[in-house]
Amino acid sequence: MDELWQNSIDRLESRREAVLAAGGAERIAKQHASGKLTARERMEALFDDGTFVELNDQITSRCSDFGMDKKKRPGDGVVTGYGYIHGRVAFASSQDFTVGGGSLGEAQAMKICKAMDKAMEMKAPFISINDSGGARIEEGIDSLTGYADIFYRNTIASGVIPQISVIMGPCAGGACYSPAITDYIFMTDYSQMYITGPAVVKSVTGEVISSADLGGASVHSSTSGVAHFVYPDDLSCLNGVRQLLGYLPQSNEDLSLTVPGTPVDNSAALADIVPADSKKAYDVRNVINSIVDAGSFFEVQENFARNIVVGFARLDGQTIGVIANQALFMAGSLEINASDKASRFIRFCDCFDIPLLTLVDVPAFLPGSQQEHGGIIRHGAKLLYAYSEATVPKVSLIMRKAYGGAYIAMNSKGTGADIVYAWPIAEIAVMGGSGAVSIIGKKAIEASEDPAAKREELLAEYNEKFMNPYIAAEHGYVDEVILPSETRSKIAEAFKMLETKDRTLPLKKHGNIPL
Amino acid sequence: MSKYRITVEGKTYEMDVELIGANGAAVQPVAKAAPAVAAPKAAPAPVAAKPAEVGSGSVVAPMPGTILKVLKAAGDAVKAGEVVLILEAMKMENEITAPVDGTIGSLSLTEGSTVAGGDLLFDVK
Repeated sequence: MDELWQNSIDRLESRREAVLAAGGAERIAKQHASGKLTARERMEALFDDGTFVELNDQITSRCSDFGMDKKKRPGDGVVTGYGYIHGRVAFASSQDFTVGGGSLGEAQAMKICKAMDKAMEMKAPFISINDSGGARIEEGIDSLTGYADIFYRNTIASGVIPQISVIMGPCAGGACYSPAITDYIFMTDYSQMYITGPAVVKSVTGEVISSADLGGASVHSSTSGVAHFVYPDDLSCLNGVRQLLGYLPQSNEDLSLTVPGTPVDNSAALADIVPADSKKAYDVRNVINSIVDAGSFFEVQENFARNIVVGFARLDGQTIGVIANQALFMAGSLEINASDKASRFIRFCDCFDIPLLTLVDVPAFLPGSQQEHGGIIRHGAKLLYAYSEATVPKVSLIMRKAYGGAYIAMNSKGTGADIVYAWPIAEIAVMGGSGAVSIIGKKAIEASEDPAAKREELLAEYNEKFMNPYIAAEHGYVDEVILPSETRSKIAEAFKMLETKDRTLPLKKHGNIPL
Repeated sequence: MSKYRITVEGKTYEMDVELIGANGAAVQPVAKAAPAVAAPKAAPAPVAAKPAEVGSGSVVAPMPGTILKVLKAAGDAVKAGEVVLILEAMKMENEITAPVDGTIGSLSLTEGSTVAGGDLLFDVK
């Protein structure tokens, strides 16, 4: 090798070293001291061991204002590239807080966009790891446009490839909207997301609030519903991302992974889990766990709108999406947040051809001025819209209560359910007996010499006539009344039959879901 | 995979026909490198309906309803998760539990009282 070669190699090596050195030993030590991994360590943890390949490591800012030309930032504060997750390719970006606080400028945005474009061309998932102080002020509106370029790509890729955002540090202002457009948001316990931080909140409204109370993981996973998953630290969080991707296809043109599970049928336990007395509560997650492949249920948004449970599971190795009313919380009634949570989940599953299993035990939409004034009409409508629009296989099991509009909203026959099962204890009616008798028996009760006895008589008649699944079965709204012990085998059989389902919507640009 | 036999100008050919998807892969789902089956999460412990909390130990009605049973009185010691009231609401007997260990401070509701969503039910100090 001659000297010229050697010089060229030395130059490349020193440039590579500069990139790998990131923000320097001191900043990296600080990152580690706060319990966080570096941007590259996160990539290693996200992908199958040794499969991460970095792209565009030399990209750097062209900005020269405010002395930026003197502060060279190798890699421009973000690491991008691809690797394999469960052996399938995926693309990712990981902001590097040690390099300029991970701030986003024109070059960083370009780097992220290049990786997103590759993910779209390769029809592979894109994972965005966020740990950034925000827009790079020195770069002015070029930085803001960088965010716009990312939002635009997030939107175009929506429904084509799964997009996952992972928040592992600050994520403030405009930076929040890329995660918000993506399919799932993961947060670590020490991350925050807010449009305006505590300092601005204080100066504008006078309210004094900590960043954790304003936009920490606990707030977003239980109150705002912004985050779908929360983990205590980087490693468990990235493992959660891998776990989620194990349920998903690579794109809307791909099939989900099949993971052979142990075929255990725990349906026999169902009659012990669900009390026949419909006034008694139970944990519907025990029902789900008894039906799906052992240990396969992966709950989404478990602390938000707990009156409805949604998540992925496997049935005979195939991914399904599960939506279930949770009797344990607010009696399983539907309200604004539950409608939003379930409809977004249903639409995600429909985008990616994941069949839907709906477990129904719903008393009603929650009454009250708070719900009406909060817009339960337009929020509840999302649920009806999402179920009606979904063309994936849709199977329902009416376990106990199915009343009124809430029954119709929970994947009823009329909104396109392919197969509806009911247990013999199911109560499928327009409303409960007590309320119904007060309306339809009003005159008879008033005219009676013994109104209380008349009321009881009418109630008994109503209950006998309507508090069962047989009228619905006679009218074809329920396909079959099944024993609890037959539950898993019937549901699995239905999904197997539905594998070749081919229902398409009329050609249109897109529908107009009531947002 | 289906077998077809076609005859062209008297000559017979046998063909194997396979349906392929847009990406050129056979449509039948093939078992790829499988992710480990999700480690079974600890079975979710049955948790009683967790009411919205006002302060650390204040419990408000999660929804409008009627008090069916009052199982504890002011001054009683309770453990977190212990049932204090049963609220009949939305066609269900909802167990309202103590959010924290402590002593019930105030509890003036009687069986049959109606409450609105958000009304203070009791607090635990």
